[in-house]
Order: sequence, then structure tokens, then C-alpha cells
Amino acid sequence: MHKQGGKANGVQLAVLNSRFEGVASKMSNTLYRTGRSGVLNRARDFSCCIVTAGGDLLTVSESLPIHVLSGPDMMARSMLEFHPEVKKGDAYVNNSPYHGCSHAADQTILVPVMDDEGRHRFTVLAKAHQADIGNSVPTTYHGEAKDVYEEGALIFPNVQIQRDYQDIDDIIRMCRLRIRVPEQWYGDYLAALGAARIGEKEIMIMARDVGWDALEEFSTQWLDYSEQRMIKALAALPAGSSTKTSTHDHFPGTPEGGVPITVHVNVDPENSKVVVDLTDNMDCMPCGLNLSEACSRTSAMIGIFNSIDHTVPKNGGSFRCIDVKLRQGCVVGIPDHPFSCSVATTNIADRVANGVQTAMAELGEHMGMAEAGAVIAPNAGVVSGVDHRSGKAYVNQIFLGFTGGAASASEDCWLTIGHVGNAGLCYQDSVEMDELYQPLHVYKRHIIQDTEGAGKFRGAPSFYCEFGPVGSSFEIGYVSDGNTNGAQGVRGGLCGGTSDQYLLKKDGAQEPLSPCAQVVVQADERIVAISTGGGGFGAPKERSIDRVVKDCRDGVISVERAKAIYGVDVDKTGMVDVAATDKMRAGD
Amino acid sequence: MRFATDTGGTFTDLIVEYDDGRWAMYKASTTPDDPVVGVINALAKAADDNQCDLTEFVSKGDVFIHGTTHAINAIITGNTAKTAIMVTKGHPDILLMREGGRSQPFNHTLRYPDPYVPRDLTFEIDERVNYAGDILTALDENSVITALDAIKNTDVEAIAVALLWSISNGAHEERIGALIEARLGKDFPYTLSHRLNPTLREYRRASSTSIDASLKPLMGRYLDTLTDRLSAAGFAGHVYVVSSQGGMMAARDMAGKPIHAINSGPSMAPISGRYYASRENKDQAVIVADTGGTTYDLSLVRDGQVPMTREMWVGEKYLGHMTGFPSVDVKSIGAGGGSIAWVDAGGMLHVGPQSAGSTPGPACYQNGGMDPTLTDASLVLGYLDPDFFLGGAMEISVPCARNAIEEKVAKPLGISIEQAAWDIVDLATENMTQAIVDITVNQGIDPASAILIGGGGAAGLNSTFIAKRLGCKKLIIPEVGAALSAAGALLSDLTTEHRKTHFVSTDSFDMPTVNAILDALKAKCMAFVEEAGDQVIDYQLTYKAEARYPNQVWEIEIPFAVEQFSSALDLEAMKQVFHENHKRIFAINDTDSEVEIVTWSVSVRCRICQNTMAGRLSGDGVEEVKANTRSIIFANEDRYEADIIRFEAMKENQTFNGPAIVESPFTTVVVDPQTQFSRTQDGSLILVPTQETTNA
Repeated sequence: MHKQGGKANGVQLAVLNSRFEGVASKMSNTLYRTGRSGVLNRARDFSCCIVTAGGDLLTVSESLPIHVLSGPDMMARSMLEFHPEVKKGDAYVNNSPYHGCSHAADQTILVPVMDDEGRHRFTVLAKAHQADIGNSVPTTYHGEAKDVYEEGALIFPNVQIQRDYQDIDDIIRMCRLRIRVPEQWYGDYLAALGAARIGEKEIMIMARDVGWDALEEFSTQWLDYSEQRMIKALAALPAGSSTKTSTHDHFPGTPEGGVPITVHVNVDPENSKVVVDLTDNMDCMPCGLNLSEACSRTSAMIGIFNSIDHTVPKNGGSFRCIDVKLRQGCVVGIPDHPFSCSVATTNIADRVANGVQTAMAELGEHMGMAEAGAVIAPNAGVVSGVDHRSGKAYVNQIFLGFTGGAASASEDCWLTIGHVGNAGLCYQDSVEMDELYQPLHVYKRHIIQDTEGAGKFRGAPSFYCEFGPVGSSFEIGYVSDGNTNGAQGVRGGLCGGTSDQYLLKKDGAQEPLSPCAQVVVQADERIVAISTGGGGFGAPKERSIDRVVKDCRDGVISVERAKAIYGVDVDKTGMVDVAATDKMRAGD
Repeated sequence: MRFATDTGGTFTDLIVEYDDGRWAMYKASTTPDDPVVGVINALAKAADDNQCDLTEFVSKGDVFIHGTTHAINAIITGNTAKTAIMVTKGHPDILLMREGGRSQPFNHTLRYPDPYVPRDLTFEIDERVNYAGDILTALDENSVITALDAIKNTDVEAIAVALLWSISNGAHEERIGALIEARLGKDFPYTLSHRLNPTLREYRRASSTSIDASLKPLMGRYLDTLTDRLSAAGFAGHVYVVSSQGGMMAARDMAGKPIHAINSGPSMAPISGRYYASRENKDQAVIVADTGGTTYDLSLVRDGQVPMTREMWVGEKYLGHMTGFPSVDVKSIGAGGGSIAWVDAGGMLHVGPQSAGSTPGPACYQNGGMDPTLTDASLVLGYLDPDFFLGGAMEISVPCARNAIEEKVAKPLGISIEQAAWDIVDLATENMTQAIVDITVNQGIDPASAILIGGGGAAGLNSTFIAKRLGCKKLIIPEVGAALSAAGALLSDLTTEHRKTHFVSTDSFDMPTVNAILDALKAKCMAFVEEAGDQVIDYQLTYKAEARYPNQVWEIEIPFAVEQFSSALDLEAMKQVFHENHKRIFAINDTDSEVEIVTWSVSVRCRICQNTMAGRLSGDGVEEVKANTRSIIFANEDRYEADIIRFEAMKENQTFNGPAIVESPFTTVVVDPQTQFSRTQDGSLILVPTQETTNA
């Protein structure tokens, strides 16, 4: 790639894109391997990306979708609004849901990439979910917080944290005093900073190679190419409108009937546009479930990108074809300060994305998806306490097993999707790692038979996890949606298993737990967490008999369910009664 | 006399090292149904060449080293043994849930991978040990016996046993092993996780145990057959098999831990590459690239160290299975001679990852392949001689290649066929370059400062371009480059490594326990040396720790200089090495922090090769081949009349200038106009590109 100016051809486009992707993946690798908290170095709850000087998303490493589709663009623009004169060596921290960040826990380091003349060319971002962000209670998902004050997070609306490549120690000191287990926080800050600095360095090396102007020309062209890809992908879709409602369970601070989220989707291939209208929803609520603007936009986009040709690049170019209509002060819109957005990346955001992809599924039989399962069950909660083995305090989000995958129009679920905004990118913890790093014990982990969202293509079964503290008590925070409203199927597909949670006392007695809570669990007590399954796509009786038999053999479904739901007469040895099956499947 | 054979997908390579140090290279077709036949055929060719019969020839051998893709092929084609797994009660879904993770977040067309052992062959055993090795629930032998009786009534051929925290206390697994032998017979294949792979994280340990058990019946048979049939052919020396970790294991030991054979073969390429590069410059990093038909295998040798990964996958990451073992870090991308070129709906060109394979093969093979490949592009550009492909053994068609490129690439992009052919080569070059950039830059190496080694029969087509793109100052194509792995096996030392997971922090360092562990690991290494017997010239022990900062979970491996820790100074020295390594790899460090050590390892390297002129083929420098030229095309459709030079006829240390084509029956090397080349005393071809102003 030795082009100096002028338009790049298909080959040169591919070459430079591959190099930008290389930069983003190197950033990710640094963050993953050097992070200190489990949420980063075990679960990989972070993202790295590159945006243009103008703030368009250009390149993303393989990252959680809810982190990056929209948000980095807003943060980069917000950085320039507050700091019009960015300089080489600067770094900024942004975790403000009112300024483009997803939620307060997603502390983001932004580094402006400057050329030798001091001109701002790109911005690199490393966003990392913190184990703690100084909330009033030890969780990064404060569902009950009636406002940002009760939430208590330290909020940084694009605050400068490095000058001339040196920390601005005032900021570091503030964080060390307010964020739990400060040395863990500092290690995580170093990891994110290292990632951003490596991104900066790599782009400068690229610029030395091909020239800054060629890089900018590439950016323009790459965004245009991505837009063209999106236009072609939309051209393959049927035109039409669809409305879906997905309801989040009742939590403290929400109406009794829960939070219905209604999405209107209009696909207009002729004008190369998809419009998602989210304005038809309630106002912000006095709890932590409100979406940040970044999450409102992104969750709508996830639903769209889950429903179309997956090879379309996701960046500022393809985004031109998407219009997300938002309303100021709306629970799925632009939040008014001081409403809290503590849980913005998961619960309500998932309802938006699920609504969009099921609405898309209603528009055509070869597109869209069922609903993915809801989160955050206690086995993905934030645990904290003092480790009796070392006498040291700990706080961390654990990932002891989530399924939740939704069926698509062409394949069964990806089992470990987590939730729709996560897309299965997060890793799951090893039992041994969790027992080593926290004074806890994991008694049982397994999928639950007959809880899959049945369908021609099926969703994930629910997951059962039984665990608890040993030697000392711990505190656990979680926000488990889906106790009432499971993941819906589409086009005849059925609902996935719902979630549940309870305490197992030492005497074996079960004590129900609230779905949104901060709970102290005593040593040798156990929490039972049941996470949601995912929805099915298409009628179960259209499912291939081979797949039904395999699910039986694997114990994912019982022979009774095979018969009742899928219309397949199979015995425990896998023998199918073809005549009986044909009859059941033909009937109804 | 020593033999090294490497059974690849297409060819079985053999290199013979005669007692006077001379080497000779032979190739026979691989016989997938019975790979030993290919090995014997290659030996027969060598015997012919020496004008003696097979038995007489083979009986002169002292050592036979074998690299094989048999294990990996069995996994890929689903021909492994039916395997059951025993796990701790309450945890049946370790292999199903894995460690999570996924690539392509918006691609919902991929099927979630089945567990390596299906759920209906998963047996829960009532027992539990905790992180400290305390037994919380004693082993319920009845649950084991019930499981074994159930297994007896199936066609299960092997059992994996992977209990939680068996790495802290292996008693329960040991007892289950005894019960398996008592119940199913002494020879029933099984694997215990703590014996095979004492590593933290239950998924990767269970996965390695399952894979290993499933390979035991097959690899046991194969390796016994190999040994027996070599004996039958008259061979009475040591038989070693190359391991994924770049060492050699006695064939019978490999039969007991066959998971180590998964990367057997490719793991030797970097050893070879290191050797040929070190003849030039010992200090430079070495990029070893092996070009096959469908994959491009890469590794990076730095500071003379063959690169290792702790996370080797069988198949694609997240879609395949984690072996849970370190391996020589050979990264494969879908780029090779058979990679298909195509244009997407947005008008963007792609090359690979799909490959035309050997059937139907590139369009020019005329076997029904309609898609243009890198090989077709090379033919159109004049790099390959249609009359001298594989030394003239195969007829290839220029019109077919041109037609495929025209239809699938030139027309959609609105460019000429020649331009399209160049673009295909250029993009393949870029993909390969990017793969090299990934492995180098990720480790903080500037590829421009490295030596590039081009191995594999197709390496010569674009290695010069790759070297230029990377800014490498030197490209080496070894004389035995077409059999890089077999050569590596002959150049390799006899090595083994023993590891023990034992967690300590530098702020509470338990010296006596650590020293006892190191002692025990050393003793195992010394037993290995003894067994290797008098072929060992000398040996060297290496001590390493896998360490990290508190709360990090991904360790980096650091060497330490002492066999036993005797003072705070020893500890401080190890901390410093860690801080320096962390900074080098990740651009940051935290020097105020303590360091945690998770795993201790001791390895031993026995030198068995005393041949100082190893790596050199005998019998070349043959007759002068008459001067010849061919019209070839580079960027911008620039056409050159290039000299055709026979590799074997090149004189040592004479400098040539591109454009040129260097040909041998094994390979074709394309040299562009800005590149100088010469042949070294080792017989290698060295190419020195003139650098452009740019830098990768």
C-alpha cells in the first residue's frame, strides 16, 4: 500500500481496512492481557475503536455491540466540544451517560491522534467496564438508584486525565479515594490507557507509511463503501412497517406492570432507509434503568444489524442508512440529568434491540431474530466483601454462566450469547478461577432441560447456577429481568425459559429473592440463579427431525417435550416412530 | 544415519542424514488411509538412490524422527474414538459452556459447536475437592462403578476423567483410573486430567483430557504400527515423534499422550527457520512462513526462542476445540496457492479464505475448478512455467487461468486480466503480510527488523513481495525449504518439559515449597536424559515461571536464573525480569506492584546432533542449465523479460539482480527488478529487496 492521495481501488481499500483493524485488535489484546479485574481479564467486558477526526466510527475491534455502535462517535465529538484545542500527549476520561458514554461503569479513555503539525486526525477509544465506579453500593448496576446522586458514581464528562503523556494526578487521586479496591482500579486504568496509547502509536506508524492525507482519504472512501454495502443489504429486504412491544419486568421505581418498550420499525429499501422510532415510550423513571442516548441509539442499531447481511461493515458509513428517532426525557431516548442510567447497557436496552429484531422478523421470513434472553441474574452479579484468606477487600463482577441465545432465521441460537447487546463476546468464568479469586464455592452449573425457546430453529435453554460464599459472607448485586417476561419467539417460535433467584439456607429452606437487589449472603448459604433462555424462530413442528432427536439424545429436551411441542415421536434410544411423527406433524 | 519424515496433506517428506553429515531430500505421495505406507515409500526411494535394498538401507539408521498430521486429521474428519467423560457432580456442562467468547458478533448463521464429548456420554461423579486440595466430599466409588457399568454396555472406546481442582489433589482421579483398569481391563484407554494437563481452568483441562483420550486408540495403533513396521523393515534405532511443543517424544510415550501430536510437523518449521536464519544473523527476529496449498503457517522466532502459545485450538477459535496445551505458536491463515479470488457485492476484491483445495484445484489444473486462485494468477503473470510445474509432472493451462480471472475478477472490477492477476497476488500478499504483522506487532516486534524465511513449495511466488511490504531487509529460501519441517526435526534437540501449578506471591514467597517443586521437576527431566542414553552429547536445563501482577489472570512466561531460591536477592531479580518483560510486551508496567507466580516449569534440551554442516543437501551444483528467459509481469502491468535460473546450478556467493525466476523441481522463486539475490554456503537463496521509503 503505497498510495499517496487519490482514490484507493478495491485492493487498496482492503489493505488499509485490514491495517486499521489490526490497530484495533492490538488495542484489545493489550487491554485483555493486562486488565486487573475479572470483568476485563476473564469476561472481556471492554471495547476498542477508532473514530475519524469528525467523530465518525471507523473501525472497531471485536467488541460488545452495545459498547460501540453509537457512543464512541458522540464521546469523540463531546471531547472536542469541551477541549477544542486537543494536543499530542493528551488523554481524556469519559464515563458520562449524558455525554455519549453508555453507562457510568464503562469508563472510556480517549486519545486524540495528532499529526506532526498538531492537526487532529483520529481519536482512539478504549472503553472498559470497571469492577467498581464508586457507586453508593458495591455494584456497577444500581437498578434501584432513583437518580444519579443515589447511584453515586464518579462521573467524568470528558475530563483530561493525561497531558504530555503524564497522568494528571489530581484525577487519579480522586478516583483512588472514591473507587473500591483502588489498586485494582488503577491497574485497569493503566490497561485501558495502554490500549489507547498503542492505538495512537500504531496509527502514527501507518501515517508515516502512507501519509495522513491518504489515511483520511481512505476513511472517507471506507465509510462510503460501507454505506453502499448497507444500501445493497437493505435493497434485499421487503418494504414495510412493524411494531413490537417487549416488556421489562417490574423493578423498584417502575410501574407495576413493568416497563413496556414499543418500537416502530419502517424498512424503506427504495430510499435506503431503516427508521426505528422509540419516541412512543414513557418518560425517564426514578431508577437506574434509563438508557443513555448512546445505548438508545445502539440498541436500535443492534436489532437492525442482527437482522440483515452480517458482512455489512458497522461504522459511520452504514449508519447513514439508519434513522433512530429519540425523544428528550424518554426512558429509551435522551436522558435528562439527574435521572440515573446505571443499568443502561443491558436490561431496557435489550428490550429495544429485541423489539427491533422481532419486528424485522415479522417483515419477512428470512430475516430478523427471536428475542434473546434478559439479564442480569445473580450468577453474573457483582460480588464484594473481605476475603478471609487474605484479609483484603474485593469487588468484581462474576460471569458464572449465561445462555440466552436467540434463534435466527437460519440457525439455532449461539448458546452463550449472554444478552442481545453482548452478542456472546464476553467470556464466562472458570469455576476454579472464581473459587480462587473470591471466597466462594460453586455447587452446581448446568443447562435446564425443556426450557429452550422451541422453534424451527430453537433458542437457548435456561441455565442453573448454585453458588455461595465460604468462610465469610459476601454482598451481591444483580438486576435480573426476565422473571416474568421471558424471551419471546417469532413466526410461531416459542418463549424461552424465564429467570428466577432464591436463597438456599443452611437448613435447605428456600427463600425467594427480589429480582433487583443487593443481598448479603452468609457463609455456606447458597444463591440459586436461573438465567433466561432464548426465543425460538418458526414453528417447532417445522424443526428438522434430526435436530429434535439430537436435542433428546443430548438431554436438552425430554422425549415428552419432543412429542408435545415438536411433534416427534422419539424414544429414549433415539428411535423415531416415523408414522406417528408424520401424523402429529400433519395434524393440529 | 538419521531419518526425518514429515507426513503432510499431499507429500511425505524425507530427509536422510548420512553419517558424514550429508543430507538428501525425498518426497513420496502421502497415503491417508495408511500413512505408514507413504513413509516406507519415501524410505524406499532413498534406498533406491543408494542402490541398496530397503532392509539394508534402513538397518543403518540410528534415529528415526517422525512428524505427522494423523492426529489432527482424525479430529477434523471425526475419526477419533468414541469417548466418555467423568466430571464432578453438579458440573456436567463444562464442555458445553466452554469459556464463552465468540467472533463475528452479528453473524447468526454459525452453529454453536457441540461439546467434544456429548452430554449423554458425560457421567457425574459424586466427589469434590476445593482450591486448597481439601476433600469436601469423599469420592463415592459407587457412582464411578455405576458409570463404568453403563459405559461397558456402549461402544465407548476411551474415557476422560476431569474433576474440579484435581490439580490441587489428584487422589480422586487416581482412584478412578484404578477402577477403570479393574473394571474395563488394564489396556482400556483413559486419561486423567491432572496427570495430562495440570493447569488451572476446568474447561481447558477437561477439553485436553477429552481430546487426548479420544486419540489414544488410534494413535496407539498408528505409532505401534509405525514402530513395528520400521522394525520389520530392519530399523533397530530410536523412534521419536515430533510434538506440538516442538520437542520429540519416544513413540511409545507419544502413544500415551497423543494430544501432543496434534501440531506434530508444523511445529518443526520454526526450528528449521531459526537454524537457517542464525547462519546469517543470530540477533535478528525471524519470521518463518510456510506456504501450503490452503494455509499459510507462520511463526516468529525471537532471541533464538521458538514461539509458544498456551492456547492452541483445533479448528477455528471459538468454533473448534481448545487443546489446553501450549504448542509451538504456529498461526495459520486461509491463504495459499489454492486460495480463491472473488469480488463481493460492494465491488471489493477478496482472496481466500476459501480454497480450491486439491479437488477441483485451481482453474489451471483443468479439473473442473472455475474459480481463480493465487496459483492461476501466478501463471497468468508468468511466474509459473506451464511446462515445468512440479518439475513437469503436471500439465496446467494458461487459457483456463486467464478465463477464470477474467470472468470472476477482471470483468466485475472493470480491469484487465493482467491487472486482475496482479491485484490477486497483491491482495494475497497483503493478507499474508497482515498475518505476519499481527504475530510480530502483537509481540512488539517491528517486522522490518526481522529476517523472513520462506518455506513450502509455493513460498517463492510472493515471498519477495511480502518481504518488501514488511520492509524486511533479508529473505531466505532454504535449499530444503520445501521440506522445512522434516529439516527442523533433524536440526532439533531432544527436549522435554515438566510443569507444576503452584501459586505464590512475591510478598509471601514460600521458598522451601518452591524449591521442592523445582527439585521434583528437575528430577523428571534428568530421568528423560538418562533414558535417551548415549546419543546425548550434552544437555541444558531451563527454569521458567508463568507470572503476572496481582489480579491479572493472563500470565507471561519469564525465565529465571537459579535452580533453587536461596535469598531475597534471587526473588528481587525475578521480579525485575517480570517488570521488564511486561513493559516490553504491553507498553506499561507497575513496578511498585508485587508479582504472582502461577506455574513453574523446568525443561531440558539434549543436544544429539553434532553435525556442524547440517542442513545442506548433497549432490547439487549439478550441470549448468542453459540460459533462458521468460516474460513476467509486476505491478501496473509492467512486463519484464526475466532470467530463468536453476537453483541447483547457482554458484555460491555470486550476486544476481532481478527480475528473475529461480526454479528447482521443488520450488519457484519470483524475484522483482529491485531485488538482488545470491546463494550462501549453506545452499540457501538469500534475497535482498531494495527498500522503498515506506515501512510496514
